[in-house]
Amino acid sequence: MNMTTTNLPAAPPARSRNILVAVGFGIAAVLMYFGGLFGVYLRERSQVRSVGGSWIPEKAQIELTPPGMIIWTLLISVAVMQWAVYSIKRDDRQHALLAVGTTLAMGAMVLVQHGWQLSQMNLVADEGPTTAATLIYTIVGSYMVAFIIGMIFVALMGFRALAGQYSSRQTDGIVAASLYWYSLVFIYFIIWIAVFIAK
Amino acid sequence: MTENQTETGSNAADSASGSLDIGGLAGVFGTSDHKNIGRLYIFFGLFGGMLALILNILVRFERASIGSVGILDFGSSNQFFQTWSLSRTSLLFFCVLPLLIGLATYLVPLQVGAPSLSFPRAAALAFWAWLIGILIHVVTVFADGGLGEPNPTSQFAQGMDPEATELSILSIGMVVLALLVGTVCVIATIISQRPQGMTLFELPLFSWSMLVAGSIWILALPIWLSNLAISWVDFLGADALRYGAVENIWGQLSWLWSQPMIFAFAIPVLGIAGDIIPVSSGVTQRQYRIQQIAIGAMGALSFGAFAQPFFNPDVADQAVFVTMGILVLVPILVFMGGLADTSIRGNLSFSAHLVLSVVGMLALLVAAAASAFHVSGPAIGAIQEINDSWLDGLITWLRDVHGTVMATAVMEHVLIASVIGVVAGLYYWSPKIFGYQLNRNVGALSAITLLGGLVLSGGSNIINGILDEGDEVFNSSAYEGVWDTDAVEFFNIIGAIGGVLLLAGIGLVVLDLTISVILRKGNSENANDPWGGHTLEWSTDSPPPSGNFSDAPVVDNERPLLFPAVTGGDDQ
Repeated sequence: MNMTTTNLPAAPPARSRNILVAVGFGIAAVLMYFGGLFGVYLRERSQVRSVGGSWIPEKAQIELTPPGMIIWTLLISVAVMQWAVYSIKRDDRQHALLAVGTTLAMGAMVLVQHGWQLSQMNLVADEGPTTAATLIYTIVGSYMVAFIIGMIFVALMGFRALAGQYSSRQTDGIVAASLYWYSLVFIYFIIWIAVFIAK
Repeated sequence: MTENQTETGSNAADSASGSLDIGGLAGVFGTSDHKNIGRLYIFFGLFGGMLALILNILVRFERASIGSVGILDFGSSNQFFQTWSLSRTSLLFFCVLPLLIGLATYLVPLQVGAPSLSFPRAAALAFWAWLIGILIHVVTVFADGGLGEPNPTSQFAQGMDPEATELSILSIGMVVLALLVGTVCVIATIISQRPQGMTLFELPLFSWSMLVAGSIWILALPIWLSNLAISWVDFLGADALRYGAVENIWGQLSWLWSQPMIFAFAIPVLGIAGDIIPVSSGVTQRQYRIQQIAIGAMGALSFGAFAQPFFNPDVADQAVFVTMGILVLVPILVFMGGLADTSIRGNLSFSAHLVLSVVGMLALLVAAAASAFHVSGPAIGAIQEINDSWLDGLITWLRDVHGTVMATAVMEHVLIASVIGVVAGLYYWSPKIFGYQLNRNVGALSAITLLGGLVLSGGSNIINGILDEGDEVFNSSAYEGVWDTDAVEFFNIIGAIGGVLLLAGIGLVVLDLTISVILRKGNSENANDPWGGHTLEWSTDSPPPSGNFSDAPVVDNERPLLFPAVTGGDDQ
C-alpha cells in the first residue's frame, strides 16, 4: 500500500473518549428538546393564568403521590447507577452488573408508575378548555421515550461489561450510560416541579 | 468490536485499490466507511437541491401572470402551500444539511488525522434513516399531507388528508433526528479523534466551522423537534386545539428558516473558503485565531431558537433579535477581510473552487446585509426615541419590510451560499473524494450560472420585499398592499428565471461529476495533492485507503504539511 505520510512522525496510541463526547452532545440535545417543551408549557400556562383562567381542566385529577414515588425511585437509582460506576472502576464486575440490573428494575418501576398515573389523570388531549392536556402528554410521553432509550443504553452497556469490554482500564461506556441516566433524573425533577407540583 | 472499527472487508478491499469502486450494491447498502457514506450524502443531497429548486421555480411562476392570465395555477391553496413548504424543507433538509454533513463525514476524519469517523455504524444508520425519511415525506406531501395550510376553510378543507399529514410530520422529524445523529458523529470525531498535538486551535478551518455549526445545530434542532412533537400530539386528536391545527403547524416551525437561525446553516461556508483561498494563494492564513473567532462569533450570533414568532409575536421588536440580525454582518466581514489579506499577499491561481468559494462568500455577505436591513426598523426606532421625529417615514417603511419576501430573500441567499460553498468544496476536494479532478471550466461556468441565478432569484425577492409582497401566504392575499402589482409579478418572472439558472448551475455540477468521475474522464494525475494543500487530508492517497493513514500523525500547528511538527511553524 502506497502511503505518503512518512514525513510526519507517528504518535503513540491514545485512548479514544468517543462515547463520552457523543453522549455529552446527546445529553445537550435532549436537554434542549425538553427545554423547548418546558418553554412552551410555562409560557402558555402563564398566559392562561394572566387572564384569570384555570390551566388544568377542572375534571382532571393530578395526584402528587405517583410523581413523588417516581422522583424518589429515580433519586435512589442515581445512587445505584453510581454504584455501578464505582464497581467497574475497581474491576468488581459482579457488583457492577448487580447495580446495572437494579437500575433497570427501578427504571421498569418508573415506567409502570408513569403508565398508572397517565391512566388516572382523566386528561383528554384535545378537549380543552386549555392546551394543558396536550402539553402534559407531550412532555410526559417524550420523557417516557427518552427514558426507554436510557434503559436500553444502560442495558447495552451492562451487556458489554458482562462481555468484558469495560473494566478499570476502560470505564467510558458505563460512565456514559450513568451520565445519560442522571440527565434523565434531572429532567424528571423539572417535570415534577413545573408540571405536577406547581400545576 | 469497538466503536472505531469501521471498515468492512469489501470496503477495505476497495480502498486498498485506490479506485472509486465502492463495492457494488453490497458496498453501498452495507457500508460503514465514512468515505462511502459521505459520497452517498453528497450524491443524494445534490438531487435534493434540484428538487428544491424545481419547486421554487413553480412557486415563483404561480406568483406571476402574463396579462391577466396566471402562468401557473395550483388549483387550491393547499396544493400551493404543499409546494411552497416542501421547497423550503427540501432546500434545508434534503440539500444543504446533507451536503454539509456529507462533506464533513468524508473530510473531517482526514483533516484531523483520524483513521475513521466516530460511530460509523450510527452514521450509516443515520444516512439511511435520512433517505427513507425524505422519501416518505415527499410522498406524503404529494398525497395531500404536508406541514399544514395557512388559510384553511376548515380543518381538512381542500383535500388535506389527515393520515398523510401525520406521516409528513413524523417523517420530517425522522429526517431531522437522522441529521442530528450524523452531526454528532462528525463532532465526536473532531473532539475525540484528533492526533497528538492538534488542539482545537490547530483544526483546519472547515473542521472548526463544522464543530461550531454542528454544536449550534445540536442545540437548536431539538427545540424545533419539540415544536414538531407538540404539533403532532395535538394533531392526533379529532379536533386540534392550537398547535396541531393545520393553520398553525407551519407557524411554529418557520423560525428555522428565518434569521438569525438560518445563518447557522451557512457557517461551514466560511470554513470551506478559509481552507481554499490560502491554498489557492500559495501563502498561509495570517491571524488564524481571528478567523476561528469570527466563525465562532457567527455561530453565537446564529442561535435563534428564542425567536419564535408563534409564541413570541413581538420578537421582531426585541433588542436581542435586532442586534443579532445586524451584528451577523461583522464576523462575515472580518473573515472576508482576513481572506482578502491572504489573497493580496499571495499569488492567486485561477481555479473553479476559488471562484465558487468567492461567490459563496459574496452571497453570504449579501444575505447578512439584507438581514441587517430587514431587522433595522426597530433599531432606528430606538434612535428616534432618543431625539428626532424625522425618521418616522423611514421607520414605518422598514417595519413594513417585515413579513414580506425580504425574509425569503435572506433565507435564499444563505442557503444558496451554502450550496455554492459545498460545490466549491467538491471542486477543491474532488481529487481526494473521487480520485479525479472536476473540469475547471465547467466549474467556473457553474459559478457564473449560480451567481446569475442568485442575483435574479434572490435579488428579485429583495425588490419584491421592498414592494411589500407578503411572505408565507397564498397568492390571493400576497399582493394585498403592494405598491405595484405588475412590478411584483414582473420580478417574480425574473425570480423564476433566476431559479432556472440556479437549477442549471447545480445541473452542471451533476453533469461534471458524471463525466469526470463516473465516466472517468477527469484528470487523475497528481490526485494525492494537486493544489499544494496545507492540511492533513492531502498527505494521504486519493481516495484514501482503509484506515486513512498508515500512522497517526503528530502535528503542532494548523498547517502540518507546510510546517511538520518536528520543525514547528510560525504564526504568520
